Amino acid sequence: MHSANEIFRDFAPEGARRDWTRRELLAAGAVGAGALLVPGFIAGCAGSGAHLTPPPPPGIAIGGPAGGGHFARFGIDGDVLRKVLLRAMSRGGDYADLYFQHKLVNFLALEDQEVNQAYGRVALGCGVRVLKGDQTGFAFTEDLSLPALLASAETASAVASASGRTAPPLEYVSPPADYYRVEIPWSEVEIARRVPLLQSVCERARKTDSRIITVRANLGDTTDNVLIATSDGVVVEDSRPMTEASVMVVAESNGRRESNGESRSGRRGFELLDGGRFEELAESAVRRTVVLFEATPPPAGEYPIVLAPGLPGILLHEAIGHGMEADFNRKGISVYADKIGRRVAPSFVSIVDDGTNPGVRGTLNVDDEGTPTEQTVLVEDGILKSYMHDRISAAHYGVSPTGNGRRDDYRFPPVPRMRNTVMLNGPHAPEEIIASVKYGLYAESFTNGQVRIGSGDFSFYLKNGYLIEDGKLTRPVKDANLIGFGPEVLEKIEMVGDDLEVFSGMGNCGKDGQRVPVGFGLPTTKCGGMSVGGVS
Amino acid sequence: MSDENTKQLFDKARRAAAAARAAGADDARVRVSRGREVRVEWRDGRLDRIRESTEQGMSLALFAGGRYSAHTTSDLRDEALVGWIENAVAMTGHLAKDPDRMLPPPHRYEGLVEHDLDLVDPTLAALAPEDRLRNAKALEEAARTGEGADKVISVTTTAADTDSQTVLVTTNGFEGTERSTGVFWVAQVSVRGEGERRPSSWSWAQGQHASDLPPIEGIGAEARKRALAQIGARQVPTGRYQVIFENRAAPTLVGHLIRPLSGAALQQRQSFFEGRLNEEVGSPLLDIRDDPHLPRGLASTRFDGEGMATVPRKVFDSGVLKTYFLDTYYASKLGMEPTTGQTTNIIWADGARDQARMIASLDEGLLVTGFLGGNSNSTTGDFSLGINGFWVRDGAIVHPVSEMNVAGNHLGFWKQLVEVGSDPWPYSSARTPSLRFTDVQFSGI
Repeated sequence: MHSANEIFRDFAPEGARRDWTRRELLAAGAVGAGALLVPGFIAGCAGSGAHLTPPPPPGIAIGGPAGGGHFARFGIDGDVLRKVLLRAMSRGGDYADLYFQHKLVNFLALEDQEVNQAYGRVALGCGVRVLKGDQTGFAFTEDLSLPALLASAETASAVASASGRTAPPLEYVSPPADYYRVEIPWSEVEIARRVPLLQSVCERARKTDSRIITVRANLGDTTDNVLIATSDGVVVEDSRPMTEASVMVVAESNGRRESNGESRSGRRGFELLDGGRFEELAESAVRRTVVLFEATPPPAGEYPIVLAPGLPGILLHEAIGHGMEADFNRKGISVYADKIGRRVAPSFVSIVDDGTNPGVRGTLNVDDEGTPTEQTVLVEDGILKSYMHDRISAAHYGVSPTGNGRRDDYRFPPVPRMRNTVMLNGPHAPEEIIASVKYGLYAESFTNGQVRIGSGDFSFYLKNGYLIEDGKLTRPVKDANLIGFGPEVLEKIEMVGDDLEVFSGMGNCGKDGQRVPVGFGLPTTKCGGMSVGGVS
Repeated sequence: MSDENTKQLFDKARRAAAAARAAGADDARVRVSRGREVRVEWRDGRLDRIRESTEQGMSLALFAGGRYSAHTTSDLRDEALVGWIENAVAMTGHLAKDPDRMLPPPHRYEGLVEHDLDLVDPTLAALAPEDRLRNAKALEEAARTGEGADKVISVTTTAADTDSQTVLVTTNGFEGTERSTGVFWVAQVSVRGEGERRPSSWSWAQGQHASDLPPIEGIGAEARKRALAQIGARQVPTGRYQVIFENRAAPTLVGHLIRPLSGAALQQRQSFFEGRLNEEVGSPLLDIRDDPHLPRGLASTRFDGEGMATVPRKVFDSGVLKTYFLDTYYASKLGMEPTTGQTTNIIWADGARDQARMIASLDEGLLVTGFLGGNSNSTTGDFSLGINGFWVRDGAIVHPVSEMNVAGNHLGFWKQLVEVGSDPWPYSSARTPSLRFTDVQFSGI
C-alpha cells in the first residue's frame, strides 16, 4: 500500500510492525502497556505526511469571545460552544469538555538520493467528553456542523442519567506562558528550500563514510491547533508547533551490513535544522552505524549498567514514569500505588516530569484538558512526591491536576501521560562513574522500551554501547534487550553524574492505544545489575 | 451500512479522482472509508468509559508528471476537498521525478476472488447498549469467580464492535469496496503478588462474527489464571535451553521474521532475506502460507491497498523462502514482478500435538507466554526480546519466569524449530500455533 505507513513499516513500533489490520488495532489498543519508541529507527505515525499549503479554513467566524483565534478555523463561535456543552451536560454529567482540533502535518522524504516522496495529513474533528464521577462518556465527530456536534454531545452525555445542568458563561483564557520556541516558522520555508536541504543531508552522509550504501532522510513539520472549551466556563486555545527530522543509513563492509539512525525534534521551527544542523545529524547517524561493524552483541547475563547522558533517560520513562501515571495508581494496579512519601531511591536521585522546558518535544502550554502545565516533582531526594494527574485522578486524590492529561488526537479521551521526564544532576563526575566499574556495560543509545505497570518489570533495547572493563570503555556492543525490575533498579542507583542532557530526538510513547510525543533525559547514571539479553 | 452509504463513498472517491486530474495529476488512487465503533469499558463493578463514534477519512495517492505524493484528510466537505487536492497536486511538482511510481497495470485488478469472504455479521447492527454492558459485566464476573479470586485487585474489561467500509478508486479503472464488521472482548486482571508486585495479565478474543467468539466466561477466567500464574516469577540461570513459544505469543516472533520480506526493506538493503529466495532458511517445519481468502479471516481481503487482486501464496515451503511482499513501486525498483505490499492471514501447516502435550514431553526448558520489549534487526537478523513464562522440568511447570531475554539471529534460529503445534491462535491474523525450538540462548542471572 502506498502510504506513509508502508514507508515506515520497517521502522514502526511493535503494534504497527505486525501489519495490524484496523480490526486488530482495536484490540491492541485495548491493552495499554506503556511502550516507548525512539526513532531514527522508528519513525512516526501511520498516515502522517506532508501538506505544504494548509487548506482553506473550514468556515467563517460569526463572533465569539475575545481572543478566539481558532474560531474561524473551526467555523464555530461562543454560541455553538454553549449549546454543545449544555447538551453534553443535559443528563446530569459533572463536567464536560469539547476538544476541537485542526492538525496539519507535512512530510518530505529522500530515498535513493532523490527527494521523491511527500506526505500530507489533515486531521479535523471534535471530541466531546462527559464525566460523571470517574466515569467517562466520549464521542467524536469530523463533521463540525451544529447538528453533528449536538449528536456527539448527546452520545457522550449518556454516561450520566439524571436531570440536566446548566453551564456557566464561557470565558476566554490565554495559556499562562508560551513555552514553544519558533524563530523561523515552517510556513516561511518553501518546499523549494526543503528539497536541497534533504539532498545536502544525503550528500553529507555519503561523504562521511564510503561504506554507506543507502540513506533515507525525513523532514516533517506539524501545526496542531486546538481549542478546548469546558463546562467550568473556560475556553483556551493552543497552537502547537513540532519539527521532526531523521536520517537512517545502511552501510556495507566486507559483505556485512549494518543500519542505524538519528533524529532531531522539538517544538521549534526551521532553525532547529538550519545552519548545518541537519547535516551534522547525518554525520552522527553514519558514525553510529559504522561503529556497529566493530560491535558484537554483549555477553548474556546480569551485570552493572552505566547510562550515558540524554537518550538513556528512556529508563526513567519505563522504570518509574508509567508507574507514576495516576490512573494506574487510582485503580491500584501500579507497583507504585500507595508509595507516596516513601523512599524509592538514594538521596541524590530527583526526578521530575516537566511540561515547561522551552522548545522540547514533550512540552505543552496547556495539556489536552486545558490545564496549564508545570514541573511536577515525582521523586525528590529519593522520596516519592507526586503522581502525574489528569482531571479524573486529581479529583480522586483531592489534588490539583498537574497538566498531564493528554490525548493522541480528538478521537480519544485524555489520560495521564508523561511530558518530559528528567532526572536532575547528581554529585558525581561522569569519568569517576565509568572508572568505578570493574566489568559492565556503557549504554549510549536505545531504540525502544516497554514496562509492565503492575509487576514493575521493564525493558529497553540497546542499539549502541561499550563494554566497561577495569574502569575503561573497551569494545563496542549492539543489539541487546535490557530487563530490570523498576523499583529495584531505582533503589540501586549507585551514582548520578552532573552532566544532565535532555534527549533532542523523537520519542513517542504509546498507552491505551494512543501515541503522544514525549521528551526525557538524565545525567550519566550508574545502575546495579540488569539482565542483558546478549549471547554467550 | 447501507447501499446508500456505499454509493456516497464511491461518489466522494470518484469526484476526488476527477478533481486530481482536473488539477493536473496524470493519475490518482483514492481510498475513502467510514467506520463506526462502539466500545464499553467496565471496571470493578461499574461502567468506566463508553466511547461511540463514526470516523471518516480519505487518502489520496497522486501521480503527476512522473512525480508522486500521498495525502490523508478527515475533512471530507466538498468545498474543502477541492482546494486540498489542488494544493497537493501543485506541491507534488516540486519533487524529483520517480519513474517507478505508477498505478498497477489494469490486468492486476482482474480476477478478484468470487466466493463470499463472509466478513460482515448482520446481527451486530442489532446490538443494544445493554448487550455490550452485559458482556463487559460477564467478563468481569468470570474474572472474579473461582480459585484465587481473593487475590484480584482490579479487573477492567472491554466489549466493543465495529462496522467499517472502504472504497478504492483509481483513474485507470479500478473500483472496489470491502466492508467488514468486528467484535472483541478483552479482560485485564491485576492481582496481589509477592511484596509490592501486582502482576497483571489479559485475555481476549476477536472475530468478524459474534458467533466466532468463544464462551465469554472462559476469557475472564483465563485472564485471572494468567495473572495468578505469574506470582513468584523469578529468573533462571543464563544458558541455552529448549523452548516452547505459546501460540498467542508466537505471532510476535513471526512478525519479526516476515518484516524483512517487504519490498521497502529489500530495496533499501535492510533485509537479511535479500538474495535468499528459494533458499532453505529454516527447518522443514517452517511452512507458512499467506491466505487472503480465508472466510471470516481477520485480514481477509479481495484486493490489496493498490487494488491488485489478492492471491494465496506460500511464504515458506518446508523451510524454503518462496516469496517477497512487493508492491508495484518497490517491485519495479527491484526489477521483479509485484506480489502485494501486505501480508494478510498467516497460516501454518498443521502440527500433531497441542501445547499441553508438547509441555508434557519437555525434559527441561522454558515455556514463553509473553514478550516485554526488545527488538529485531531486519538488516542483520539479530534479535533480543524480553520474555516471561514458565520453567518446565520433566514435563511439568515448576515456577513462573520473568526478567529474562531471548536472543539469536533469525537465519540460524528458524533452523532450530523442531515442532509445530496443532493449536493455531484464531484471534490474530497471524494464526500461529505453539512452536518448539532447541538450543536457544536465554539470559537471566
